[in-house]
Amino acid sequence: MALFTRTTRNLILKIDEFFDNIEIGLVVFREGIKSYLEKDHEVFLRHIQKLETLESNADKLQRLIENEMITHSILPQHREEVVMLIDALDEIMDVLKKSLDEFNIELPEIPESLNKHFINLTDASLSAAEELMPAARAYFRAPHTVREKLLKVYYYESETDKISRNIKTTIFHEMNDLDLAAKAHLRYIIHHVENISDLAQKAADRLSVMSIKLDM
Amino acid sequence: MILFFLTSGLFLGWSLGANDASNVFGSAVGSRMISFRKAAIISSIAVIFGAVIQGSGASQTLGDLGAVNALGGSFTVALAAAVTVFAMTRFSLPVSTTQAVVGAIIGWNFFTGNKTDSATLIKIVSTWVTGPVIGALFAIILFRMISLLKKKSNIHLIKFESRIRTGLLLAGAFGAYSLGANNIANVMGVFVPAFNLQELDLGFFSLSSNQQLFLFGGIAIAAGIISYSKRVMQTVGANIMQLSAEAALVVVLAHSLVLFIFSSSSLSAMFTKAGLPAIPMVPVSSTQVILGCIIGIGLYRGVHNINFRLAGEIALGWIITPVISGVISFFSLFFVKNIFSINVGNKVPDNIASDNIQIIADENISLIFRHLLSGVIIILIVAFILYILLENKKAREMKKSEEKFWHSIK
Repeated sequence: MALFTRTTRNLILKIDEFFDNIEIGLVVFREGIKSYLEKDHEVFLRHIQKLETLESNADKLQRLIENEMITHSILPQHREEVVMLIDALDEIMDVLKKSLDEFNIELPEIPESLNKHFINLTDASLSAAEELMPAARAYFRAPHTVREKLLKVYYYESETDKISRNIKTTIFHEMNDLDLAAKAHLRYIIHHVENISDLAQKAADRLSVMSIKLDM
Repeated sequence: MILFFLTSGLFLGWSLGANDASNVFGSAVGSRMISFRKAAIISSIAVIFGAVIQGSGASQTLGDLGAVNALGGSFTVALAAAVTVFAMTRFSLPVSTTQAVVGAIIGWNFFTGNKTDSATLIKIVSTWVTGPVIGALFAIILFRMISLLKKKSNIHLIKFESRIRTGLLLAGAFGAYSLGANNIANVMGVFVPAFNLQELDLGFFSLSSNQQLFLFGGIAIAAGIISYSKRVMQTVGANIMQLSAEAALVVVLAHSLVLFIFSSSSLSAMFTKAGLPAIPMVPVSSTQVILGCIIGIGLYRGVHNINFRLAGEIALGWIITPVISGVISFFSLFFVKNIFSINVGNKVPDNIASDNIQIIADENISLIFRHLLSGVIIILIVAFILYILLENKKAREMKKSEEKFWHSIK
């Protein structure tokens, strides 16, 4: 019984640590984009490194959580869903790292006039993911509150779509001095940032169904 | 020969273990909260303790229904009930051993021309109705309590599940103990008047004649649990209604409480002391009680959650069971009496108390019993040690493979 309590306690700590990793990852990504737009390359590299550590840590935690849940047959009825939720959150972390990496490799030239728009886009997209985290934590403690917490995720996701659409319109309709390759490159980068909120929405949909099933 | 007659009782015990143990841990195993292996080990140990410590309460009532007064009759009655239960279990239908035994005893009454005591029959049949109803009420109350507690405490899902699992193990052990205490009467009740064994002194405690019989019956039930109850457990737990972890706990707890109530003489005495009517000491149908509990939760959560077709099929089994068992018993008695010329019992004149008819076993039987018990206990201890060793080996291998995995990941 003592072994069982210890396993349970460890697993709860690992899940909390995993969530903490994702939340810190979101903050680091925001700061990373800001430092890129401010052309502070040194700070930007530091953020990439930090995000890499967080992503690798999240991967390790994900494996440990899945492993312990299966080995000790924890949450047999909801295990599959919890594993899928953690997988979905880890995917967000992967995209954060990948996106920042692509900024570093491709060094997209973002016109200064678009800086504010880019910051808004990043903020909105990350807010969707950030609002997902309290809902994911609530699934384990107060599942009946999950759905109301998810409303903000959907709101920020649609905000992200609007901002992204506006930026793309500005790039393709108003910035005639940019060549098509640069425009396409910017669109590709925008798509990467936008993708974070899309993934958050996908995870929110899953979480919503999970909470209903748990409350039944 | 006398010991051979006992085999049908042991077969019935095995059938009861294969079938009725599913009622105790079925919901827990069906909801995948507890592995079948763990459930089988716990319920086997608890059922033996329940049978030996508290088994005598309910066996008296079956004797009142029809005191089978020849060992050949006891053998045939138990065999008829066992065949019925085994056949129904084969088709994965959770049947009631109580009803099979009651049907077989009534079959004996018909064959020998004895009157079936209608008062006792009504007492038994009434528990077939009250058992599930009380089970449903207990289930609703307990489910409401647990749901409120969960919502108010904001407990972490994994911690809550861990508590539920511990609760399931404890409630399951209690349920198996109550099953042994209540249902051993079905298995060995018909043999009680036929045996009078010497008291067995085991040093720190001693076993009376009945307790020795009940111990054998308990071991037979345990064998049934380990060897054949897996399929029925999955039917009870998964097919009637999809049970959540807390619902599984409630079902096991409510079922255990009902069984305990109908087999605890001290609780009945407390009721009488308080001026309330005494609780009848009757072997209740654990199948019906468990179904009552599951339906109680289903009703609480919404009727659409219940698989009524399967529930109906099981209910049909309850009517068919005593009828089939009675018919098999009647024809088997005819066969045993006329083909093998074995005395299966006779009509008891109304003015003779059935308790006076008893077959006294000699000292040799007690000695054989003693040797058999020692043999079984030694086998059990060896099996237990082997099991622990194998489990340890498996755990070590798993740890090794884990370390290898994490090493390669790094």
